[in-house]
Amino acid sequence: MEEQQVYSVSDFQAVCNQIMETAFTGVIVEGEVASFKLNQGKYVFFDLKDEQSSVGCFMMSFALRFPIEDGMRVRVRAVPKLTNWGKFSLTIQAIAPVGEGSIKKSLEMLKKKLTAEGLFDPAKKRPLPDNITKIGVISSTQAAGYADFCKILNERWGGLEVLTAHTQVQGMTAADQIIRALKYFNERGEVDVIAVIRGGGSADDLAVFNDEALVRAIAASRIPVITGIGHEVDESLCDLAADVVASTPSNAAQMLTRDRREIKSNITADVERINNLLNVKIIELTAVIRSEITRLVDGYFGKIAVIYNEVSNNWKILEQLNPEKVLERGYAIIRGDVAVGAQIEIMTKKQEIEANVTNIKERK
Amino acid sequence: MTKTINEKINDLKTGVDWFYSDDFDLSKAAEKFETLTSLAKEIQQDLDNLKNDIKVIEEDFSK
Repeated sequence: MEEQQVYSVSDFQAVCNQIMETAFTGVIVEGEVASFKLNQGKYVFFDLKDEQSSVGCFMMSFALRFPIEDGMRVRVRAVPKLTNWGKFSLTIQAIAPVGEGSIKKSLEMLKKKLTAEGLFDPAKKRPLPDNITKIGVISSTQAAGYADFCKILNERWGGLEVLTAHTQVQGMTAADQIIRALKYFNERGEVDVIAVIRGGGSADDLAVFNDEALVRAIAASRIPVITGIGHEVDESLCDLAADVVASTPSNAAQMLTRDRREIKSNITADVERINNLLNVKIIELTAVIRSEITRLVDGYFGKIAVIYNEVSNNWKILEQLNPEKVLERGYAIIRGDVAVGAQIEIMTKKQEIEANVTNIKERK
Repeated sequence: MTKTINEKINDLKTGVDWFYSDDFDLSKAAEKFETLTSLAKEIQQDLDNLKNDIKVIEEDFSK
């Protein structure tokens, strides 16, 4: 018989752990939670089971990113371990609910907790800054949602500097990657706004956006955050924590930019409007000038007519006073002294007569 | 110094507002209109030529 290696119990346990760690680096296991308990507020224990089997699980409470309770279906990333007491267990690195029912339940529990903390308080929301020139985007560069975002951004506006942090947007490591990207942008403080972008997907795909640590990181961001996650019907806790929520990635691009086509159309309308205004002003002014000229002409000729009438009347009066007119009517003009024996001159229309005064009588 | 597109748009807005203000003076209007028309064309060209600069950060966020 070949001589076999003899292990101490501790060595055997250590070798087993080493082999399992090598064989199952971050193994993903899915099952139902049973006997969930939290010890001293720090240590989490539960069993993960299916119809035939059950395995004990251990994790630190800080790694618990979603509220978990018995009966929930979860997916864990874990390292298998043989404890010092010979008990096989999974040391959980990450955990997430799976299936619509579990996700919904976990979401409701977390929403209640974070709402009570005031994380979603509308009074804390900041508007998008004016004149955005630099945008930080957190998304997967391979995702359709990111392509939509960039397409709409480029169609609508230009001159923007967009820095994209490529992260996973689903799966168990996505939340931590997005948190690191948020930290990256916040530490540098270069961008005006951070856009968290992800296209549509199933409830499982979008579950990362209900991760407690991620929701808290969005709420704590010094730089305003806009989310454009999923479709219009999807609402995640990240949406509730963000300053501004867009219904889709395309809608986020719309909210971050002005539409150059609309601006061009407004400019054309503005120029046309002032052109029309100018024409109206010219027409109005021309009418005023015409009216003044008419008034001037009317006044001038009116005055002339008055003067003409006055002259004409005076002329008639003068004509009546003309002595020749009196002679024409048969009268005579007599010049000389009115005394008997005096010589006088008599002028009629046709004759000039010399005569002597022979008698003078007073009229009765 | 070259003005940004936003500054140009603001200049255009101020210019258009002048036509509706009490400062309006017909003797200056034609010249102003010419200037604003040129500015409007310039803005429209700028808008057509604007391109976004989209860069992917090299940092690995998976670690």
